[in-house]
Amino acid sequence: MATLSLNKGEQRELVFVDEPLRDFHCTQDEGSVLRLFVFNFHSAQNVLHIDHLASDCTTEIYHLVFLHGSDKVMTHTRMHHEVGEGISRQLIKFVLADNAAGEFLGELRIKQNAQHVNAQQTNRNLLLSKQATMRTRPQLEIYADDVKASHGATTGQLDESALFYMQQRCIDPTEGRRMLLRAFVMDIVENVQDETLREQLERSIDGVLQE
Amino acid sequence: MTDLLNIKDLYASIAGKEILKGINLTVKAGEVHAIMGPNGAGKSTFSAVLTGNPQYEVTAGSVLLNGKDLLVMSPEQRAREGVFLSFQYPVEIPGVSMVNFMRTAVNEKRKYEGKPALSSTEFLKLMREKRKLLEMADKLNNRSVNEGFSGGEKKKNEILQMAMLQPCLSILDETDSGLDIDALRIVAEGVNRLKTPENAVIVITHYQRLLDYIVPDFVHVLADGRIVKSGDKSLALELEKNGYAEFE
Repeated sequence: MATLSLNKGEQRELVFVDEPLRDFHCTQDEGSVLRLFVFNFHSAQNVLHIDHLASDCTTEIYHLVFLHGSDKVMTHTRMHHEVGEGISRQLIKFVLADNAAGEFLGELRIKQNAQHVNAQQTNRNLLLSKQATMRTRPQLEIYADDVKASHGATTGQLDESALFYMQQRCIDPTEGRRMLLRAFVMDIVENVQDETLREQLERSIDGVLQE
Repeated sequence: MTDLLNIKDLYASIAGKEILKGINLTVKAGEVHAIMGPNGAGKSTFSAVLTGNPQYEVTAGSVLLNGKDLLVMSPEQRAREGVFLSFQYPVEIPGVSMVNFMRTAVNEKRKYEGKPALSSTEFLKLMREKRKLLEMADKLNNRSVNEGFSGGEKKKNEILQMAMLQPCLSILDETDSGLDIDALRIVAEGVNRLKTPENAVIVITHYQRLLDYIVPDFVHVLADGRIVKSGDKSLALELEKNGYAEFE
């Protein structure tokens, strides 16, 4: 499914787990809602392109990358507000272990006259080893003057003070790390509305965390 | 009878700077000890070293808990042996619910003691009982650990965890800081109700105020990394009146 158009008022939730999305393109008509989930547990290249072609569209992008070994994921989001009165939210998280590498390019474009857009882009990354690397580049192109657009990107390690706090409460560091990681990634999974799918995802993530 | 805690000539440093310079202290079951002292005396270092905080290095001395060498144990093993620290600044853990956190903690301790894990129902019942002790709302159960808690809620939450884990040695590090008088009373009453002839409490505080509620058997003055004076509770009142000037 490379190209998709959402009709007026249509609502879609799409969940992709390790599927090729080199040229995902979705156009949205008036009042449509797209909730897009992209999970990658192995190497991949994603280009996620969304166009708001009419007013009152909503897009939510939830993207989780969890890599081991020397896997690499490059993700490019292209969120284009061609018309005003739209909402977009992006929550992008990379968890990188071993020699894994991640790259995120977050392109957010708000055209001239696309007023009253509310756009958010959040990118949070966890490096679980000294060898893992993350490159992140938000790219905001905003040509309208009456919009709300925010972005934030952080890359860090698991919170050592939280781990010590957990140890002081009898929890060994292996279990503590697992709990902190689980919290970090479930923040994405819990937004999946389809219950069966959500539970399936929780199970596969618990599987990854036990490794 | 073996001492609950026996500290001999303890030296510790952080980043090469010596903070504790020869601490000696013996705590017996059933006792409450207060450690008071000016800022920078080493009070927080003392609690960090006893709990095995990896930022601190013990350079000399020994610490025995019920006759066992505490210093060779990992932080979680010390906790499972019954050392509990009420943190001066409890850590927020986003995304980890209080229930999940506490159930893991309690069951890790039970496993160490060779007891079976508590079922969800048993656990929630225990949690409800203990929460009453601290007049805490049920809604905190599903909130993330300490996240968005007020200063008072965080300190109550520390004592709730103490109640759940039933330690033999509780160290309260500046538990009174940031508490209004009502929260202080609730926290102190909680601690007093958890007191038994088998356990002991070390209260670390800058001010005498908390000791009106948790009455110590012994008061020690910590200054420049050493215990420079010990006495009964009247020493705390004396310090309140005269300050720490004579020790600085």
